[in-house]
Amino acid sequence: MNSTWFVYLGFAAALLVVGLYALLTMKNMIKLFIGIEVISKAISLVLLSTGFAKKNILLAQSLVITFIVIEVSLVATALALIINITRRTKSLDVRKLTKLRG
Amino acid sequence: MIFLFIGLPLVVAALLPLIGKVSKKIAPDVLANAVFLGLLVLALTSGRQLIASGPVLLRLDWLGEPVGITAAVDGFSLFMLMAVSLVTLCVGLFSVDYMDHYGAKANYYALLLMMMAGMNGLLLSSDLFNVYVFLEVAAIASYALVAFGLEHDELEASFKYLMLSVISSAAILISIAVIFGMTGGLSFSSVALALRDLEAGPAVGVCAALFIMGFGLKAALIPFHAWLPDAHPSAPASISAILSGLLIKVSGVYALARIFFNVFGLTPALSEIMMWLGAVSIVVAALLALGQRDMKRMLAYSSISQVGYVVLGLGIGTPLGIAGGLFHLLNHAVGKGLLFLNSGSVQMATGTRDLDEMGGLAKRMPVTAATNLVGSLSIAGVPPLAGFWSKLLIIMGLVQARHWPLAVIAVLASVLTLWYYLLIQRKAFFGKLEARWANVKEAPFWMTASTVILALLSIGLGLFFSAVIKTWVQPASDALTGGIRVALASWGF
Amino acid sequence: MTGQILLLSGLVFFSILAILAKDLIRSAVSLAVASLFLGIIFFRMGAPYAGVFEISVVAGLITVLFILTIALTKADGDVRESKLAPIIFPLVFIAFVVIDVLVMKSLLHKIPAVPGTAESGSFGDVLWKQRTADLVGQLAVILAGVFSVLALFRKRDKDE
Repeated sequence: MNSTWFVYLGFAAALLVVGLYALLTMKNMIKLFIGIEVISKAISLVLLSTGFAKKNILLAQSLVITFIVIEVSLVATALALIINITRRTKSLDVRKLTKLRG
Repeated sequence: MIFLFIGLPLVVAALLPLIGKVSKKIAPDVLANAVFLGLLVLALTSGRQLIASGPVLLRLDWLGEPVGITAAVDGFSLFMLMAVSLVTLCVGLFSVDYMDHYGAKANYYALLLMMMAGMNGLLLSSDLFNVYVFLEVAAIASYALVAFGLEHDELEASFKYLMLSVISSAAILISIAVIFGMTGGLSFSSVALALRDLEAGPAVGVCAALFIMGFGLKAALIPFHAWLPDAHPSAPASISAILSGLLIKVSGVYALARIFFNVFGLTPALSEIMMWLGAVSIVVAALLALGQRDMKRMLAYSSISQVGYVVLGLGIGTPLGIAGGLFHLLNHAVGKGLLFLNSGSVQMATGTRDLDEMGGLAKRMPVTAATNLVGSLSIAGVPPLAGFWSKLLIIMGLVQARHWPLAVIAVLASVLTLWYYLLIQRKAFFGKLEARWANVKEAPFWMTASTVILALLSIGLGLFFSAVIKTWVQPASDALTGGIRVALASWGF
Repeated sequence: MTGQILLLSGLVFFSILAILAKDLIRSAVSLAVASLFLGIIFFRMGAPYAGVFEISVVAGLITVLFILTIALTKADGDVRESKLAPIIFPLVFIAFVVIDVLVMKSLLHKIPAVPGTAESGSFGDVLWKQRTADLVGQLAVILAGVFSVLALFRKRDKDE
């Protein structure tokens, strides 16, 4: 695998870390979602750059497009959940969601 | 024909909102359960003929023109299709009465059908990325179903479940991308072929680890289990049943087994990892189950423990172990589905899930108590019920492969399992009838009917275990022990 | 390649901004800008369809959904994030980047690969004929999402 692939992977890994950091430390539910979005960007980048490196750019584009469609559905569901939660707890703070033990 | 498994639920789900406007309860009930029944019949009858001469790859033809949709059918996928249809039908029947007080039945059935379509799509897929797509279909439906009652607990559980699932999806996709990078392909056969020729040990190891993280989270194996003890209790009982009974197995165990056995090929290292993952889940979850007061939470931990048994059995890699693991998968789907449905009956009758508050319900809810006993004993592994045989097979497989410590663990954990199930039975059903439950009524018809069906199945699967194993489990086990050959020979084209 | 590296850095930079910004609207906008960068990166890789999709759907639709949610959840008081975060994060991130570069360099040529075969056909061929099953999956996932949102936003009946 040529070196450009690894450059893309390196950046994608950085994005992944940013997203994971958000998921692990942020307390605002919407910020948690932004974390998910950043991770999704990392995934799209990994998928497309792999296809690019294999000279299979058309296949990679199909994968990325399918993935983005899935992402939209996921985000819609997640945001609907968040809106419902704020209606109950009147706050976006994820620390309020501690009624259930792990 | 086999494409009906995906197409039928999809089409009916799409039509349900319109139908629901006209008839709020009857039409959705009838339609959805008709679909479930129809698919069960299809799975029981036509399936075996298809694979009589080995795994097949079927192509969909639309008006004579081949469309690019293929379905990979073999003993394993057929076995799972049968299990999915069976448990979903019983859950659907249960929902006829249970979901009355939640409202929005058309919407509920639409989501349930979508979850089934997603699971079936996953089972019939022969392409790595496609497996992921249908996994997400089922997952998104499940997030909404867990939160269906819109109470605080349900929303919180669904939110945490969603968050952790995103991480699992990321792990799975990264692994798929790396595999694509190495092999240039995504279908099971092309990947299996390429991996066999490449000497890519460490890289495949990393991919396998990512798959374990991703699918292990879906299967709620320890240490990836954190979402399940919250999600399953808070969800409506019918959804807990289908999540514990089916979803964690289809999107977790099936996908992992399929990839490890038929695409990667089971190496001794993978086998060890699977066995120990399974063993840890069995023990830790069983211990955690003991300390619970919430009935459904105890059942949820038990699910983690029993899935551990399945993974342990599959991990042994020998025909005996795999057969035991698969049979246990079926028995647990039936048994745990039964137990969760019963918990719904109990919750509907008493308004609580706290075991310390219940007592003596057997006098007022005899059918529920009886079916609960059957389900509990089956999963705990008491002869002649089904769970006994599957656990015995797993333990025999361990002994045969000379894994003595694991065999001992499996047996001891079985005792633990029996203990906490009898705890539930004693605290909720037996003993003195608490005064405030004096006017409790037995659950409505469809709820009891569906649990009776599942209880009879647990007994039947146990009594006729050799026939069941020969016709259903054996072909599935062969498909897995066939290893990469299945992917290369039968599905490659 | 240097153009791509600049764009990729921009992508990472705006993503970090999106996470660390205190104002939610600023976060959403930073995220949209990051998506824009990613779309351009896709275009320059020869993936116009993916680029268009990324920009119109992620930078467009998802940003709109985000801002809608932010508007609908105007909470009484902001959520206090940890004060240490903006200090620890850059340090951890820089440490990670160093490790990242070293790992990637050492992995160079270590991942065996089958040489890629050239693609035939147009994008339409690949999407509609090769990945038809994915399209069914897309349809299913859209349906699932629609039903989920409908379920989560439904009006509660009297008997609930």
